[in-house]
Amino acid sequence: MERTQIGIFDLARRRMAWAEQRQAVLAKNIANANTPKFQPADVPDFARTLSRTSMAEPLRTQPNHMGGTDPGGARIAAGRPRTHSPDGNAVVLDQQLMKVADTETTQALTTSIYKKYMGLFSIALGRAG
Amino acid sequence: MSPELTRSLTISASGMNAQTTRLRVIAENLANQDTTGTSPGADPYRRKTITFANQVDAAGRTDTVTVKEIGQDKGDLPLRYDPSNPAANAQGYVKLPNVNSFTEMMDMREAQRSYNANLAVMQATRGMLNRTIELLK
Repeated sequence: MERTQIGIFDLARRRMAWAEQRQAVLAKNIANANTPKFQPADVPDFARTLSRTSMAEPLRTQPNHMGGTDPGGARIAAGRPRTHSPDGNAVVLDQQLMKVADTETTQALTTSIYKKYMGLFSIALGRAG
Repeated sequence: MSPELTRSLTISASGMNAQTTRLRVIAENLANQDTTGTSPGADPYRRKTITFANQVDAAGRTDTVTVKEIGQDKGDLPLRYDPSNPAANAQGYVKLPNVNSFTEMMDMREAQRSYNANLAVMQATRGMLNRTIELLK
């Protein structure tokens, strides 16, 4: 039982780290919505991040990607070609904002779960709240 | 504080900053849409353009947006027949600025939209930070 509890904390921690990474990537996409030739990126979904033991290995999806040492986790470029504006920018603001909202909800859910479990510990230890 | 969320805030702030500069350029263009030269045959105000670039900061961690260049629109200058104008050439034509107010308005709308998007991200990031901090309570 103890292990499961701790497992949940670990899972929550990783989920939060994933959400934070994704938020940084999305912030970059949106900030560059008017930068010529900019291609938006995204992080792999959480299940894929979880299945890998090491998170420090960037995924190379194109031959001209450099093998980075970024501890911020893997980043992949958008898989399928999107609509391009004349300046070669492929950022679609509404899509990106949808992703931001999604990431925020995920993070809110995770922090709530974390808090609830902390509350359970408090109850078990006989403290109020 | 979480470095990733702080990075997000920095990136969004740089985006907002770039869009603000863009609005300033648009304001300059609109304000000068009737600015002609003062001597005969002189060139009037030329429309300014702005380009953004993605820049990695010195620490090599955060990609921010910067203004790459504020250039000049090399487009044709429209002519108007106005012999009494001090800027009129020998044939009586005055060169007018190549500013189109509709283009500038469209550009302004786009700058506003991009600014709002950056602001929305910033608010979302702030919410995430607050929730993380609340875990300590």
